Amino acid sequence: MTIKRRDFLGHVAAGSAVISMPTFLSGCGVPTATAVREATPENPFMTWFGVDQATTARVMSELTASGADAADLYFQHTRSNSLTLEDGIVSNANSGIQQGVGLRVVVGEQTGYAFTEDLTLPSMLAAARTASAIASGSQVIAPQAFNPLASGDLYTTTVPWSDVGVDRKLPLLKFVEEKAKSMDTAIEKVAVYWGDADERVMIATLDGRLVTDHRPMTRVTVVVTASKDGKTQTGHSNIAAREEFAWYSEERLTRMVKEAVDRTMIQFEARRPPAGEMPVILASGASGILLHEAIGHGMEADFNRKGTSIYSDMVGKKVAEPFVTVVDQATIPRERGALNYDDEGNKAGKTVLVEDGILKSYLHDQISARQYGLDPTGSGRRESYKFAPMPRMSCTFMEDGPHAKDEIVAAVDHGIICETYTNGQVRIGAGDFTFYVKNGWLVEKGRITAPIKDVNIIGNGPESLKRITMVANDARLDTGGWTCGKNGQSVPVSQGIPTVLVSNMTVGGENVG
Amino acid sequence: MSADLETRAVHAVDLAKAAGANDVWATASQGRDVEFGYRDGALEKVKDATSRSLAVQIYADGRYSSHQTTDLNPDRLRSFIAEAVAITRALEPDEYRQITPAELFDGRADEDLDLVDASVAKIDRQRRLDWCQALDEAATVDERVISATAGVYDGSQRSASASSNGFLGAKESTYCWYGTSVTLRDQGERRASDGYYVGGVYVDSLPAAHDVAAKALERSLARLGSEKGPTAKTAMLVDSRAAASLIGRLLRPATGRAAHLGQSFWAGLIDKQAFSEKLTIVDNPLIPRGLGSRHFDSEGIASRQLPVVENGVARNLYVDTYHGRKANMAPTTGSASNRVVGVGEHSLAELLQEVGDGVYVTSWLGGNADGTTGDYSLGLSGHLIENGEIGRPVGEMNVTGNLLDLFSRLELTGNDVYPYSTTLSPSLLFSDVDFSGA
Repeated sequence: MTIKRRDFLGHVAAGSAVISMPTFLSGCGVPTATAVREATPENPFMTWFGVDQATTARVMSELTASGADAADLYFQHTRSNSLTLEDGIVSNANSGIQQGVGLRVVVGEQTGYAFTEDLTLPSMLAAARTASAIASGSQVIAPQAFNPLASGDLYTTTVPWSDVGVDRKLPLLKFVEEKAKSMDTAIEKVAVYWGDADERVMIATLDGRLVTDHRPMTRVTVVVTASKDGKTQTGHSNIAAREEFAWYSEERLTRMVKEAVDRTMIQFEARRPPAGEMPVILASGASGILLHEAIGHGMEADFNRKGTSIYSDMVGKKVAEPFVTVVDQATIPRERGALNYDDEGNKAGKTVLVEDGILKSYLHDQISARQYGLDPTGSGRRESYKFAPMPRMSCTFMEDGPHAKDEIVAAVDHGIICETYTNGQVRIGAGDFTFYVKNGWLVEKGRITAPIKDVNIIGNGPESLKRITMVANDARLDTGGWTCGKNGQSVPVSQGIPTVLVSNMTVGGENVG
Repeated sequence: MSADLETRAVHAVDLAKAAGANDVWATASQGRDVEFGYRDGALEKVKDATSRSLAVQIYADGRYSSHQTTDLNPDRLRSFIAEAVAITRALEPDEYRQITPAELFDGRADEDLDLVDASVAKIDRQRRLDWCQALDEAATVDERVISATAGVYDGSQRSASASSNGFLGAKESTYCWYGTSVTLRDQGERRASDGYYVGGVYVDSLPAAHDVAAKALERSLARLGSEKGPTAKTAMLVDSRAAASLIGRLLRPATGRAAHLGQSFWAGLIDKQAFSEKLTIVDNPLIPRGLGSRHFDSEGIASRQLPVVENGVARNLYVDTYHGRKANMAPTTGSASNRVVGVGEHSLAELLQEVGDGVYVTSWLGGNADGTTGDYSLGLSGHLIENGEIGRPVGEMNVTGNLLDLFSRLELTGNDVYPYSTTLSPSLLFSDVDFSGA
């Protein structure tokens, strides 16, 4: 696995970041967690991790023995489960436990990091000494006890995933399969992938805070393969949220299945649009991928404090029409990108990236916030205890504008509508970004005329923002299971947008004359 | 060397058998990774960690499931495995889910693949710092440099697998990578950036840090003044580094699983002239010091060379035992090792001469391909090729078509293999490709 990551580093250009929606997820889990843990009269999370105030303080003290501006211990336990339905049966399950503690020391812009999966005191002390080697000062005063902050309530569950057995999930997978098969006789294969996870994190900081968060996550994906007139097409859909079992109503699942079937069957008629520059209408919802790539990554403050983002010198400047407002907000209940606290123990919140067309604020972690003399925006995130946090997006979306969807379609003489996506990528410095359109429509003389498929769209961040000439009043968040990758770390995110018109982008196409 | 891990894997097999499993496959892993990040004259990040995990695959009452954990506390591990068996029993029976037949373990090569460089364990802080400083110095000699971030990554991985039907095997490998990314001031607010990283099993096999950084700077400088390229149907020359990723896209659906699920344009191509006769791809797991080399795959199948494409004729898919049994295909291996693309006789300069006018692709940006149909569309940056020479830098372009069609128009392959990847490909030259740009 390690080699693979290095290999990847070799291929991905400097300062680039990707987003993707895998059609297959390898999650993990178990019906009931019966593991016995040592009881201590502490915070339930401390009990869970088998540590107490004194142990935690001892490790923090060792971690900061050579000095620190900031330091944290990030305890994590994730129990994940997945199920696979292929060829009509559920004959593959996976479960996993990922447990460990990450130890971080920050001195100025320098970070020392270590982690261990062995939560015994000697092992944690050894990791603390390793991480502390970055510093060369003298011991700072470490807290003797950590003050528990109130837990958040954005995704409280009544039944944790650990209490939901395979026997209850299995009928849902069968339901999805049967539903899909019943929708069109051309459907030959249906695969259903289930994932759920209970993640518990406990963050102890040098300034004495103790933050705990129980983060549920679930996702279901359906993949449909159909054959017609000797041709085969595959399409998929998925839904994801920080939710519990009861969220999966028949209606919700049926809607997802219908999406997948529609996306598959339309491909038999779809073609490639002509290649080149043209107006691009982004349908509401998943088209928020535009914001994620065109501006979101470029507004993450780590790139800006290093001066490597195209947005590094643009705060306070006009970057879009006055009806464009773009927000990153972690506090939307139960969304895939939602967070009560970020992974540095700061309260997650709402950051306005662009307000009425003016570039407002970067997304900060503690390191960048200190450098800019600002409060952190609660945007420090990490994939797991194995990684140091960095500024990341959560739920990124554009607010409603003054136009109507029909008005936007009517305004386009020759262009396309983009509806569903698989992935995107951005080059932070140059600002060039792409997203891959799986399904969409051709627009001719203000009318939707024919389906299109499989085209990549490429643009430049600041230029594309300027070219958003119309914004409708139908904003919505996408419910798909998006995952954002940056510097080898993946985190769940959400995105949304109303219907918008970008007056000019470069569309991949065929039949070049 | 790996006796501790073998013991752990065998113990896990015993635990699962005791909990009622009929068959078990277990793998115990351990790794050490060290990472140094260095930016603009100062050490920015040091990460040093040892990680471990245990994975089990359970076959019980005609059912199957897989599980992994990083919590190796003996009591909790016992209950984890007992639960794993219980989960397995809650699934549906599947006659095709069977442990790898022992005869596929036979014939394991006994040659030393030379995957461990003992000197990696001796790399110390000063040596990493020396590399970082050399990278930083050489990457920042141009006054237009805004920032350069150098990285050094080294470590080792060990694992041992055991099965209830007699498999026992261990793996160990080392790695060391370093390189830098460079960001330059360009027109307006734009920054030009690129990077270059090298890595391998052996430290001594790597080019000097100074030269790696010089290459990173050269690649970044080449991006300065990049403009949107034209919409045109023309020749496409893909440099060897970008070619490795294009080959990866071509091979992604070349699996028994995808073919069985009806999600592969490779289904039905075996023994047919599916691609240009210039295309040959062999999966070779037995290359000494290869980044993807191995004596056996994740199912224990003994490694051997697998011809995937021979002179344009599709020969084999990557077939695991489960999907092989299901689709009546002989198992080969379920996953790629080193994918070796056949080289030609032309240098890059000769290929450019051959092209005359076209587009030289040096990196991809996003894009995707539909594995069922082969339809693809990719973002790219690179240069125009003008009169047989590398011309002005271009970007913000897409290339669009079908992978089957594209690889039937592979005209020439170069002799310049990019070595820092598990896909070893030379530069590739295609004719009549649809580009969209200005």
